[in-house]
Parts: sequence; C-alpha cells; structure tokens
Amino acid sequence: MNKYLALVMRSAATIVIVILALIVAVWMWKRYERDPWTRDGRVRADVVRVTPDIGGLVTSVAVQDNQKVKAGDLLFVIDRPRYSLAVEQANARIASARATLAQARRESRRDLALGDLVAAETHEQNVARVATAQAALSEALSSRDAAALNLKRTNVTASVNGVVTNLDLHPGDYVGAGKQAMALIDSDSLRVEGYFEETKLPHIRIGAPVAIRLMGEARDLHGRVESIAYGINDATRSTSDNLLPTVDPTFSWVRLAQRIPVRVRLTHVPADVRLIAGRTATVTIQPIGQASAQPVGQPKGR
Amino acid sequence: MKGEIAIGGVFVPTLLLLGIAALVLTFAIVRVMNAFGLHRIFAYRAAVDLAIFVLVIGGLAVLLQTFGIPL
Repeated sequence: MNKYLALVMRSAATIVIVILALIVAVWMWKRYERDPWTRDGRVRADVVRVTPDIGGLVTSVAVQDNQKVKAGDLLFVIDRPRYSLAVEQANARIASARATLAQARRESRRDLALGDLVAAETHEQNVARVATAQAALSEALSSRDAAALNLKRTNVTASVNGVVTNLDLHPGDYVGAGKQAMALIDSDSLRVEGYFEETKLPHIRIGAPVAIRLMGEARDLHGRVESIAYGINDATRSTSDNLLPTVDPTFSWVRLAQRIPVRVRLTHVPADVRLIAGRTATVTIQPIGQASAQPVGQPKGR
Repeated sequence: MKGEIAIGGVFVPTLLLLGIAALVLTFAIVRVMNAFGLHRIFAYRAAVDLAIFVLVIGGLAVLLQTFGIPL
C-alpha cells in the first residue's frame, strides 16, 4: 500500500513540474512569436533623383558631399554661356522675322495702291506672304521663350529639403538631359519601415504606438504605425512572353511567412540619434488590446 | 528578450544567450539534485530535467524583464 502511495506521489510531482514548465513555455512562445516585433526594420527616405532638363558641361557645383540643402537652393549650373548664346540667337531671329514681315506689308500696301494694274494673283500672293511672315515671327518669339526657359534651367535647384549624398559631380563633367546627376535624400520623408511576418499582422493596428531601437544606439525612438503595404511581389510567379502566367511548381515542407512592410511615422527622435536612410532598426509595436503603458512621444526612461 | 546583445559588432538575440545560461544552470541544478538524491521524488527523470530547463529559462526571462535589461 505504501509502495503504491509513493508511486502516485512521484507521478504527481512529475506531472506538476511538467505542467508548470508547459505554462512557462507557452508564455515565452507568446512573448517571442506572437507579439508584433521584428529585428528586420530599416530607416528609409525618399530619394530625389536630381536630373537636369538640359544637357551640357557642368560649369559649377554649388554643394558639397553630405551638405544639407533647402528646397529651392542652387545645386549646380550647366553651361550658361551656351544657353545665353541660344537666347541671343533667338533674338536675332526675331529681328529678322520682323524685318521680313515689314517688307511684306510694304509691298502689299504698294501693290494695293496700284489697283487693277497688278494681277489678282499678285494681290493674293502678297496676302499670303504677310501671313507667312507673321507666322514666322510668332514662331521666332516662342523659340526665344523656349531658349529663355532653357537658360533658366541651367540652374539646377533642389526640389525638397534634404541632404545631397554620394556626390560625384564636378565642374567639367558632361551631363546629358534626362540623366541623373546626383541623389538628394528628402529629410522630411525619413521614416522607419518594419518588415513584419504576415502572421503578426492581425496584432498590428494603424496608429498603434511603436518603439524603435536602431542598431548600436542606446535610446529608443518612438513613432506610430502609419500604414501597412498593400502589395508585395509574388516571387514564384512571373509572366511569360505571351502574357500567360508562369507559376513555379513548388512543394515546400517548411513554408516561410512573407514579410510585409509596415510604415512607421516617427514622432520622437532623440537629438543624438543619427537617422541615416538604410540603418537597421528593431521595431516593436504595441499589440491590439494592450493599453498604452506610456505616452508616445516621450523617451523611455531606461 | 526582444533586445539583442552586441558581441564585437555581431548582434545576437538575447534569447540565445539566455538559453546558454539556462543550460549551464540546469546542469548545475541537476548535479545538486543528484548529490542530494532529490530525483527520487520524481517518476520520470528525463521529463523533469527538461521541465527544469524550461522553468530556468522562463525564470531568467522574467528576471531580465524586471531589471529592465534589453527587453
């Protein structure tokens, strides 16, 4: 009897400790796997591809590498002399067109005064010549405007507030029209994007407070979920030449969750943290149903 | 638990270090239990050892959290 009691006691003790371990394991699993956080986040920013509208030699570069610029600041100047020559040329063409028009008008008036002494055909030709000369004048005027516009565009300016980075443009370089000359990082668009597993999406809500830790920094950044991406590329599918889908035949035992970019608007950045587009971030979102433990926008005391 | 620990620029999840620490601790605890013959209380020794490991790692996680070390 005593032997049986001992056996029951031993079994009970084992069961109790195993159940306790299970509870702890489930708690840790939830903590680690279900909470919406990811180590796979990046600081991102819009990059303006600064591109000249006209081609030519770069005569001067007004910025340095990694220089902050404001919208409207001069970045570089392209071959001003050549484009001002073009304006002068256009002006000369206007003068020529004006002279031609005046002469045509004079001839027309003279022939009209002679009346029937001149053939009707000549009268018609006079009218046509005046009209042609007028058209040539307006053409010359508009090409002068175009030349003036080109001259204005020799000054390439910044379209946004930002920082010029990886600058590789020097006086003497030749830039083609429509070819990117430098990159300008829009500092107003700095944000963090966390690539969250799709399994964690149900726990993410728009506007939820977010804590962000950049790799190597000691202090947290704070933000709020701004939006969730609406589409990512399907890597197993492509389109063939005749526009039919090519779907890779795959069978995987282990399926990996897709990563969905979640965009986080930054609300508080400590002054000493350098926000550099491309930095690695650990992003932790407060899950749904958890009351805001601390006001967003204030650094966590740690 | 959500933080990472940098070792010479290599960032390791804290959970990994926690696991290593828990493993060492578990070995120690099992040794001590053996020395005092405490395993006689339990019926199935392997399950108990595993349970002890899980309990230790959970305990370490809670401990880290209360001290506010990289969570």
